[in-house]
Amino acid sequence: MIAYLQNIAVLFCINAILALTLNFIMGYAGIFSLAHAIFFGVGAYATAYIAMHASDSLLLCMAASAAISAVLSMALALPALRVRGEYFVAASLGLQVIGVTIFSEWKSITGGLGGMIGIPRPKLWGYTFNDDTAFLGLALVVLGVVVAIIALLVRGSFGRSLMAIRDSESAAQTYGKHVNAIKTLSVAVAAGLAGVAGSLYAFYITFINVESFMLETSILLMAMVIIGGTGTLFGPIVGAALLMSLPAALTYLPFLPPTELGSIQQIIYGLAMVLLMMFRPGGLVGGRSKEKSA
Amino acid sequence: MLFTQLFINGLQTGALYALIAAGFSLIFGMTRIFHAAHGATFTIAGYIFYECYSVLHLSWPIAALAATFAASVFGVLLDRFVYAIIQRHEGSFFTVFVASFGMAIIVQNLIAMIFERGAVTVSTPLSKSLEMLPGLYVAPIAAVVILCAVIFFMALQWLLTKTSMGIALRALGENPTLIEVYGLTPRLLSQYVFLIGSILVVPAAILTAATSGLNPAMGNHVMLISIAATIVGGVGSLRGAAMAGLILGMAENLCLSVIDPQWSEAVTFVILFLFILFRPGGVYGRAVVS
Repeated sequence: MIAYLQNIAVLFCINAILALTLNFIMGYAGIFSLAHAIFFGVGAYATAYIAMHASDSLLLCMAASAAISAVLSMALALPALRVRGEYFVAASLGLQVIGVTIFSEWKSITGGLGGMIGIPRPKLWGYTFNDDTAFLGLALVVLGVVVAIIALLVRGSFGRSLMAIRDSESAAQTYGKHVNAIKTLSVAVAAGLAGVAGSLYAFYITFINVESFMLETSILLMAMVIIGGTGTLFGPIVGAALLMSLPAALTYLPFLPPTELGSIQQIIYGLAMVLLMMFRPGGLVGGRSKEKSA
Repeated sequence: MLFTQLFINGLQTGALYALIAAGFSLIFGMTRIFHAAHGATFTIAGYIFYECYSVLHLSWPIAALAATFAASVFGVLLDRFVYAIIQRHEGSFFTVFVASFGMAIIVQNLIAMIFERGAVTVSTPLSKSLEMLPGLYVAPIAAVVILCAVIFFMALQWLLTKTSMGIALRALGENPTLIEVYGLTPRLLSQYVFLIGSILVVPAAILTAATSGLNPAMGNHVMLISIAATIVGGVGSLRGAAMAGLILGMAENLCLSVIDPQWSEAVTFVILFLFILFRPGGVYGRAVVS
């Protein structure tokens, strides 16, 4: 039982990091990305490759994952600079599909559809995180650091510039903000931190394949952010906690047929998205219709 | 010979994509609703047809009518009871998009629960491939697909240019505020748009059921294709959507002569991505203000 809860807690930390970083670009910069799972995946694959071929040092793998994700995020930043709204959503959807194809077909690096098996647990200053309790500690620390980084960025002048761009790009530019640089940087930060989450995930599960980084994951992350509340600091964490505990809670309901649990769970997500958008578009944490139109 | 074969396959896929994209393009162009649940309409129509034709053994016109009825009811009710309510308090495109996406997830999983998760195919006398030339296999249904696409596009063109309702609908796409001055109700027109858009998806759904088969998750692919074709073609241009559907279907098949089939879906999205980067207005579209 304890092991089961620990497992959920670690996965919650990873998802919370992803939701936080997605919210950073969605809620604060107005960049509605449906390709977040790709950067999660890039981080996971980078860590897996380095850990299996070069070094299983925690800091090295995480830094490399973050750096590679941040660099590759330029592919997302490019359309974000050119178009907004529907067009950007379409571009990010395209990127998601292309990314999944690359993950499943670039066999020499990603192991193809079979994925990568036997990723070692990470080492930090000679200590190996073989114990799941220790790993939970690590995940909590990383989550704390990510919350701190995002809170710092959002509260500071960078966050204010981002929100100014979200609300009116031309007005922000008039005030001398470097719109393109700020947007690119925010996408890079979000992707880099998502890469860190990917790194944690690869180290924890010790097996990755493309299944974890499909469109469904991006949608789930988006649902976490939206159900929790876009543009709020703790909304995504609440959203992640809710959506992560839902499957666990459903297994305790005896009258549901076990084979249909996955579908029922998805239907609940979907229903929550529809109803929230109709009656409380700001999310659970956010205020009513606080969000400005894109 | 391989090239000819791929060309004909491309024509068939392209015609289907054009039909799929037309409905989405119409809805998005006229009402500015990013109707991600368009794929769900497609899946519903396909499965209703399958249920009536292959399981209940009704004749095909009745099955097609039932599919049309189900698709249009779904589309109109979604507009009436979900989109209308969201648009009443705020018009953010993303709010509507998320709700629509949620709807697509619900439909996909309901269908997976009701019908089994695997693929189903409707077999018709026309689905079997015949050898036209040595090494060239074509199913007669390919001709039906192309014919259907041409007929539906001509009907739609006539509807939009020659009838007063069509003109009102195009006005809705241009300026929703102005048409109220002329005594028309945008909400009512929006329901007509959803009715037409949802009906447009039915022939594509039926023909897909008869050619490559249906599975509950195919709504996602349909949605992606219609978004890609609408943007590549230019938002608000029906001609563009049809053309882009054809281009994407062609590209997906013709690229098989150069690369492995697993990459063919990526080709569609590389094209989309390049268009968004370099010509976001699409082939026929107006310039997009970024």
